[in-house]
Amino acid sequence: MEFGPIWRAMMRNKTGAILIALQIAVTMAIMVNAISIMQERGRLMSRPTGIDEHNIFSIASIGFAENFNERVTIEEDLAVLRALPGVVNAIQSNSVPLSGGGWNTGLQTEPGEGIDGPSVAVYMVDEHGLDTLGLNLIAGENFSATDIGWRELSDNDWPDKIIITRATAQALYPDDPDSALGNTVYAGDDEAITITGIIEQMQAPWNGWDGVERVMLAPSHTLFKGTRYIIRTEPGMRDSLMPQVEELLAERNKDRIIRSMRSMDEIRERSYRGDASMIKILTFTIVLLIAVTSLGIVGLASFSVNRRTKQIGTRRALGASKVAIVRYFMTENFIISLVGVLIGAALTVGLNIVMIEAFSLTRIAWYLVPVAMLMLLLVGQAAVFGPAKRASSVPPAVATRTV
Amino acid sequence: MFSYYLKLGWLSIRRNPFLSALMIAAIAVGIGASMTIITVNYVMSGNPIPQKSDQLFYVQLDGWDPNKYDEDDFEAPDQVTYLDAMALMKADKAYRQVASNRSGLVLEPQGEGERPFSVSTRNTWADFFPMFELPFIYGSGWDDSADDNLEKVVVLGKEINERVFGGENSVGRSVRLNGMDFQIVGVMDEYLPVPRFYDVTTGAFDEPADIFIPFNIAVEYEFSRNGNTSCWKKPDGEGYEAFLNSECVWIQFWAELRSDEEKQDYMAFLNAYAEQQKELGRFPRPINNQLSDVMEWMENQEVVEDDARVMLGLSLLFLVVCLLNTVGLLLAKFLGKSADISLRRALGASRSNLFIQHMIESGLIGLGGGIFGLVLTWLGLRGIEMLFGDFIENLVGLDWVMVLTAIGLAIVSALLAGLYPTWRACRIAPASQLKIQ
Amino acid sequence: MLSMQNISMVYRTDLVETHALREFSLEVAEGDFVSVTGPSGSGKTTFLNIAGLLEQFTDGRYELDGRDVSGLSDADSSAVRNEKIGFIFQSFNLIPDLNLFDNVDVPLRYRGFSATERKRRIEKVLDTVGLASRMKHLPSQLSGGQQQRVAIARALAGEPRFLLADEPTGNLDSHMAMSVMELISEINRNGTTIIMVTHDPVLAEMASRNVHILDGRVSNGHEQPQLAEVATG
Repeated sequence: MEFGPIWRAMMRNKTGAILIALQIAVTMAIMVNAISIMQERGRLMSRPTGIDEHNIFSIASIGFAENFNERVTIEEDLAVLRALPGVVNAIQSNSVPLSGGGWNTGLQTEPGEGIDGPSVAVYMVDEHGLDTLGLNLIAGENFSATDIGWRELSDNDWPDKIIITRATAQALYPDDPDSALGNTVYAGDDEAITITGIIEQMQAPWNGWDGVERVMLAPSHTLFKGTRYIIRTEPGMRDSLMPQVEELLAERNKDRIIRSMRSMDEIRERSYRGDASMIKILTFTIVLLIAVTSLGIVGLASFSVNRRTKQIGTRRALGASKVAIVRYFMTENFIISLVGVLIGAALTVGLNIVMIEAFSLTRIAWYLVPVAMLMLLLVGQAAVFGPAKRASSVPPAVATRTV
Repeated sequence: MFSYYLKLGWLSIRRNPFLSALMIAAIAVGIGASMTIITVNYVMSGNPIPQKSDQLFYVQLDGWDPNKYDEDDFEAPDQVTYLDAMALMKADKAYRQVASNRSGLVLEPQGEGERPFSVSTRNTWADFFPMFELPFIYGSGWDDSADDNLEKVVVLGKEINERVFGGENSVGRSVRLNGMDFQIVGVMDEYLPVPRFYDVTTGAFDEPADIFIPFNIAVEYEFSRNGNTSCWKKPDGEGYEAFLNSECVWIQFWAELRSDEEKQDYMAFLNAYAEQQKELGRFPRPINNQLSDVMEWMENQEVVEDDARVMLGLSLLFLVVCLLNTVGLLLAKFLGKSADISLRRALGASRSNLFIQHMIESGLIGLGGGIFGLVLTWLGLRGIEMLFGDFIENLVGLDWVMVLTAIGLAIVSALLAGLYPTWRACRIAPASQLKIQ
Repeated sequence: MLSMQNISMVYRTDLVETHALREFSLEVAEGDFVSVTGPSGSGKTTFLNIAGLLEQFTDGRYELDGRDVSGLSDADSSAVRNEKIGFIFQSFNLIPDLNLFDNVDVPLRYRGFSATERKRRIEKVLDTVGLASRMKHLPSQLSGGQQQRVAIARALAGEPRFLLADEPTGNLDSHMAMSVMELISEINRNGTTIIMVTHDPVLAEMASRNVHILDGRVSNGHEQPQLAEVATG
């Protein structure tokens, strides 16, 4: 192939080539970084909460009347809920994963002031908690009914036992997480709590928190005037049970209002809506970008072909076949695109470094760069094919025209 | 001459509609994408109360955990304790000051068959309303005596007033909250500061509260706390009393200081207060009082999401790609009419005549791109609204500043893009492109 | 070597039918120097395009070296042009972005010669036309006469069966024109067949034979006796 002459000719008429190469370079930089962001968000969004999401929904109950007896209400509500056909189990709790609001506290392995320890999210549950949430107990035992206390808003004491996630055990005992079971930890500097169980995994309410896997279950009912119930249904029964439960609870007791009924699926969607939207916006941007760059290449290539009509005719007269003409322009574009993606690779890495500094994004996966290079080379070739084909249909007789 | 060039530009654009459409489209797409994100950023980082933003200060005191003190991490907690809030309110050293937090109450309408519903509540003081210049439809806020005497008064938001009283003047009537009767002293007009700067701790762009009641009432009746509560130390003792006296932070504190002098004085007061607390055994960390005005506080709380900034960077790069595109297309266009250009030169046009003519043509294309770009921006904002749903309803409007920015950006970009092609066009020698048989 | 028999060329549009060539016949033997003359509109350019396989004709027969070259596929006719015909254009048709070496190189690339072979041929023909020392120069750095010489070198590089020249001195002043014509005559003396289309009777006289076209037909057949030398091969 005639790389030499093509390169030399291009060098004498650089402008069009530089414009296309730069466009390809910047497009690549944007594209790869955008894809990297999308990959990261996708990763975040695919993290499991550890609970049986598709069959769980939550509903809030807020007492207001003078004679609202919260304790009785809760006990009766739970009894009724658990008896409903289609309900696997139900609990009352202060929060739910991905809801955005909840409790956390610090735990330390030694008592005393000034001792460092990880902070963990707190979910208050009763002995039905593991079953309701669908959690996997991998060591120790569940709470028993007698362990469950009733905590008022102004109570500051912690129960004697807790169940923690494996991640919490790792944070507390990095050298020997398996030893966590049975150990004593301290909340609020000096309050001793025994770890009586370890669950495999559960997420905190805040999806952007770096401690999102650190959770502890505290055996407590809450008397905060307002609470939420977490209900787990048989597979497929969730949608029909939700309005039923809402109606049931509202009718049972008029001293409180029932609101904010949401399925876990909906809670997850709201929690990650920003990330999901970001992914959609970036996808759209990339598509638009490639369209714009392709059209740019088509435009510039067409122009370049039109300028060289005489030259094309001459080549044909000198013996170039149509295929040879197409090959000429495809090769020319290939060289330009190659320069473009090489510059693009440098720009991509540069842009990524800037973004990591400014926005703490993650580094791009190494394979994205060669994949993007290949892709843009193909896009460039596809874009120039039309003009190249049109170039090949310039009749050889053009060479003899004098006008 | 200018109108002559405009005419020439217009004729030139019309002569090759396909190419012109491509150029205008290239700019429009770039402008559409960038302006969509610029608007979101602009609104997010806008000044919600420009007439006063440098007189309202968010107060931070540092009574936090001495073991979490890092030389480089000089962060005071973003809320204050009950003890400190009450002490500052009592001292009354600023022109105006308020401590506030959020609760959720249940409102029982009096009508037959009406069901109770929950209302979001802001617990605050008399000064809140004049401080933040909240607009009223009926009545006004309460005065200091209501705070001191624990009067059950309430200011309703417009929506609640519509829902419960059909929008009438309900001042003087009462409404039942959490089983107690509160007297209505005022009905507020719709007020949607974007961002909701006076409490960003739980989402700067959420709706403002449904109703407002005195802070002391909320404390007295132990209403729920609907915000963040953080404690580094367990309260001493049990019960609500112990909680109030603890080092838990859950209250936002704002002060209005009308001049630099007032600001200095208040800072001095805060420092003296902190010293005093140290002597009483509190505030174990080095003194770290902060007074941030509205814009500083927004910045501190990182109200403009990182995501919005990232998108801004990417969309400006997108604009660069569109501009490169435009340069190429303009080059094609101008060199394509080299016969016209060399003829004009032969007939006496100077280089600068040609330069101005072609810059004006570029500008015209920019104008076209800007107008279509605005349409695309509007579409883009609708798209963002759809994606984010009720999270950012108030973020996506185009005001005059943004419209002018869009057009301006389009024209400037087109002029920049046109510089090189125009320069090339001007270099065409007179009569060089004319055919001589 | 070249035989055109009763070639007709008709251009048809919706409204008009133009007969550019009517039953045109021509025989050219090896070593001939034929000039084809005629007023404008007579069909000279059409003849040129057909002879050079740049256009397909409507009717008739065209043989090159005994092979029927009508109705060939694009690939085949391109190959014939490449190997058998050497073009010389009125406006030189050099590629402005390529230096002289690369310009002469163009037809050789389509031939599939190795790099060494191409280099040998290019240097040889540039030497023949006296421009070997300026191999790396661009066409814009040369005079009109020099550019035409390069075009001639390009035409010769592939050792074609015949040169097809279209008003080779049309864009040159009289001084350069003469030197180019001398070069062409010399090439013919060295054995290369030449068909030259021109409207200039002075140039036409330098050929050994003249064919005159009028309204698409041959209107004479006589030789020109006052020729300096006839090529003897």
